[in-house]
Amino acid sequence: MAGRATSNARSLNLPDFCAARAVLAVVLIVTLTAIVLAVARQSSGLSFWLDLARSSLFLLWAGMGSAAALCLLRARLARLSLPAASALALGSVLVVIASVSLGVLWLGSSALLGPRASNLLLPVAPQSFFAASLGIGAIVGALALRYFYVTGEWRRNVELQARARVRALQARIRPHFLFNSMNTIAALTRTDPARAEEAVEDLADLFRANLNEKRSSITLKEELEVARIYQRIEQLRLGERLHVVWDVADLPMRALVPGLLMQPLLENAIYHGIEPRPGGGVVTVSGSLDGDIIDLTVRNPLPEAGEAAHAGNRVALDNIRERMDLIYPGRSSVEANRIGDEYLVRLRFPRLEDTERSLSL
Amino acid sequence: MIQQVLIVDDEPPARERLRRLVGELGNIEVLAEAGTGEQAVRLAGELHPDVVLLDVRMPGMSGLEAARHMALLPEPPAVVFTTAYDSYAIEAFDAQAVGYLLKPIRAEKLAAALRRAARLAGKQLAGLAASDPQHAARTHVAARLGDQVRLIPVPEIYYFGADQKYTTVRHQGGSDLIEDSLRTLEEEFAAQFVRVHRNALASINRLAAIERDAQGQYHVILRDINERLAVSRRLAGELRDRFRL
Repeated sequence: MAGRATSNARSLNLPDFCAARAVLAVVLIVTLTAIVLAVARQSSGLSFWLDLARSSLFLLWAGMGSAAALCLLRARLARLSLPAASALALGSVLVVIASVSLGVLWLGSSALLGPRASNLLLPVAPQSFFAASLGIGAIVGALALRYFYVTGEWRRNVELQARARVRALQARIRPHFLFNSMNTIAALTRTDPARAEEAVEDLADLFRANLNEKRSSITLKEELEVARIYQRIEQLRLGERLHVVWDVADLPMRALVPGLLMQPLLENAIYHGIEPRPGGGVVTVSGSLDGDIIDLTVRNPLPEAGEAAHAGNRVALDNIRERMDLIYPGRSSVEANRIGDEYLVRLRFPRLEDTERSLSL
Repeated sequence: MIQQVLIVDDEPPARERLRRLVGELGNIEVLAEAGTGEQAVRLAGELHPDVVLLDVRMPGMSGLEAARHMALLPEPPAVVFTTAYDSYAIEAFDAQAVGYLLKPIRAEKLAAALRRAARLAGKQLAGLAASDPQHAARTHVAARLGDQVRLIPVPEIYYFGADQKYTTVRHQGGSDLIEDSLRTLEEEFAAQFVRVHRNALASINRLAAIERDAQGQYHVILRDINERLAVSRRLAGELRDRFRL
């Protein structure tokens, strides 16, 4: 995912043929082509399995050679325009096929294999064999390149969309929070200038964390710090009504997490759980390490019956769920439940620690 | 003449700042501060301020609701709303030409708003009430009591009854007359009250059973009070099915 960040929209976006994954795909395509050819030729008197073995042997050489060529040309292909790169890629595949065919013909004309093996394995009419293999190679090669290109584009689109969504949602801070904080600071500038100064610093840090696009994975320690800054600002405004209990000592603080994972949950808990309650309440943030799975839970009281609740708490949650799914595909979960008179959001995701700081989004 | 002001905001720093700004304007006196809508309605009845500076978003009773209750006072105060950011409310204020201030409030805007502050007309209040999707239902209903307004928390109400011109609220503290019609109450509190008869809405939480007496008349029995309400024949079946009575 990370490697393709530089490729622009109009270049030939192929998988990395130096990597096992793409080579495996080539082997698969080649084998399927061999089976198609063998099935189509069943009348020729040769045994099916022998024919299949013969075609596979030839095509595997052609396929692996093409993959090697595309691997070597990778840097150059990335620099060319889409039509030029397509022509170069297909051309190099054809050159490889032509070379393998010539090799086969050379092997057949030499006496290396002995007459019996030579008859069985090698083609009889050199010109038609050469033309046929180039023709089939051009068609299969073009189809395969097209397939790799389309899948690559599709995957890239999915990633781009996801990244755009993440960015759009990350930049969001509730306007209500911003203006209320400004108002609090305006009040504090006269009554308690030192606290006003702190609040401005906290607000600056919080916005920096919110506007940060590049460093999207941060340590758990940093993320918890952002959440604590958020709490400090809200504390000025809500005073005694807001209590936050932090039970996070057991967490691996160096683990990497996507930025703005905890803070939106705390923000939601305060906005939906504390603000509507005249008497306020307690938000509990707890974390534990379950094997290699980090477990984070945020609990808040629900507004009492008859109290107006704030609408729309799904956006932040959906956003976190989506981001976690992109970063830890299939290995994370986000649960939100109403348990008794409390609302509980629980995140579970694998612990990753990396000196290079590279979660993929 | 000195203008007398009541400051209402749930956040202490916000109240503090408003008090200071008002104090610096001169010719204006801060009568009191309130931290909730309920307190504001009570203080407005007791102290008769000229203007109430009223925060829109507060826990429990919102500023918009408090303004509606204050309008029942014999001499309702002028109201200037304050808000940090409420797109719905601001749209409604503009539409109804109601005075409002955006936080953090500027001294010169505050001075201008206080000069222009006006009582809210019934039409404006209705427009404001309709604008707020989050607070569609009030937390209290209000009854006039002499020159005061008595607030009755909605969860404490057993039923509303219509009696010719007036609507009666039967609640934990007794019984009061209010000015809302049964039809508007039914609409507003559809989640909490249900029509049991042409002339009554009963609290859904308190429905205990439906009985039929010797004359064939249906009654609903309400939990917590020893009173039964007549139920129309047409609604008896509906109520039975909906609430499994």
